Amino acid sequence: MGRAHLPVKNLLRKPGRTAALVLLTALLAASVFGGSVVVGSLRRGLESLEARLGADIIVMPAEAESKVSFKNLLLQGTTGAFYMDASVLDAVRGAQGVEIAAPQTFLASLKADCCAIKVQIIGIDPGADFTVKPWIEESYSRGLGDMEVAVGCKVTAGVGETLKIYEQYTHVVAKLAETGTGLDTAVYCNMDTMKKLLAAAEAKGVTHRLTSGSDVISAVYVKVKDGADPAQVNNWLNGHIRKVTAVRARSMFTDVSDSLSGIARAARVLIGAVWALALVILLVAFAMMIRERRREFAVLRLLGVSRRGLRDEILAETALCGLAGALIGVGVAALGVFPFTTLIETQIGLPYLTPAPGTLLTLAGGTVLATLAVGLLAGAWAAARLSRTDPGATLREGA
Amino acid sequence: MKRTCIPAIIVLVLSLIVAVGSQTFLGACVHEDGSFGACHWACRAILGEGALLAALAVLALVLKRERAGLYLAMIPASALGLLTPGALIALCKMPTMRCRMLTRPAMTILFALALLAALVGWLLSRRGEK
Repeated sequence: MGRAHLPVKNLLRKPGRTAALVLLTALLAASVFGGSVVVGSLRRGLESLEARLGADIIVMPAEAESKVSFKNLLLQGTTGAFYMDASVLDAVRGAQGVEIAAPQTFLASLKADCCAIKVQIIGIDPGADFTVKPWIEESYSRGLGDMEVAVGCKVTAGVGETLKIYEQYTHVVAKLAETGTGLDTAVYCNMDTMKKLLAAAEAKGVTHRLTSGSDVISAVYVKVKDGADPAQVNNWLNGHIRKVTAVRARSMFTDVSDSLSGIARAARVLIGAVWALALVILLVAFAMMIRERRREFAVLRLLGVSRRGLRDEILAETALCGLAGALIGVGVAALGVFPFTTLIETQIGLPYLTPAPGTLLTLAGGTVLATLAVGLLAGAWAAARLSRTDPGATLREGA
Repeated sequence: MKRTCIPAIIVLVLSLIVAVGSQTFLGACVHEDGSFGACHWACRAILGEGALLAALAVLALVLKRERAGLYLAMIPASALGLLTPGALIALCKMPTMRCRMLTRPAMTILFALALLAALVGWLLSRRGEK
């Protein structure tokens, strides 16, 4: 038998020891790959949300408890309905520094056709909208007609199907691209359709809590003119329009971004701790393994194997264990993360969008290489220690 | 311990997680109004399939001579479990429902691992018989 097969034979001869080394490297790889995918998904989710909401300021009724319920609505798809008089829109449009003001009206369905959960319905003004409309146009360019709806990617209904909301039949004309946010679980329609749905909801006993009898809206998305200071416009809106709260979109993103940074930092610390621990354990494991096998290595040296040959033998064993462990670790992390994407998104409560396949492959490749490098480092250290011992003395003291 | 016993132990552990999980931490939700959908019955079926797999695994541990055949029986039993949530019994339509985001992926992974372990067990047992 040639020496080329010796590392494989050695590993197979001691399955317990090999399994322990593979398990250790698998733990390393799984922690790095799993952590990187989750943090990467959160970053992509936030970028996606920022891209979808190009507004500088969002104006909503004071009763909407400012950002809290609104943020949940956007990030987690929590259903909510709060209203203000449609005259607020004209007041906002009249403010100095406002370039575009687009209204949206929210309505929570009692129950979707399929499941016992509520669906958020969002009415937009196609003529003025600059936030949702470009996103809808990616899937449907003709504009939403009367009783036509576009649905988020996580709403069950497909294009061409009929969706019954408050006993009103709406026609699904588009399924929107994934954003990783609560926008994916919403249904979008134009304002005329929304008025009909609001009337149907009233008939079902779901009131708007407004007694004025006029049109209602839930929020106004504002884009400020170039050169205008969004903070000043925001202050003006808060100071001059009664019973509304103007919130700068950036402050909302900053909150989310802060949460994200916290999670990313915790993940980095955790991954670092696992790596440090695994590296120490690998070094100890290799040191013990070399100590246990010193007579075997001494015999090999006396049979004519050079120090370099012995080092190559140890490095080959380490590389095989490292490669197997890295592949298993990446596989296990993939099984633990990808099938449960929706669950993770729901539990974290932040925008979550899985990175593109190319990025995932790069991450997986990088993880395998890094894990292999750590394994080889531990192996090289053990081999260097072994090369300093005298084989003759080793055999004599063990006799 | 004989090598051919290890896959049976793995299948036993997995099937117990399936059986207990389908009715508890991996199970479908009860709707707000107290009713339950088809996913509830999918979980009941999974409970039965988990129990069947567990029984086959125990028999494989006890009956040495029939071990290869019992491993063979575990393969279609695992495949049945794999197909139950979603393919054979419908689940809720919304991807954000518990049965879609937790029960189905968890059961798919558990049954797939059980199938793999059964396959390895069958190969090892056959080699032992020769």
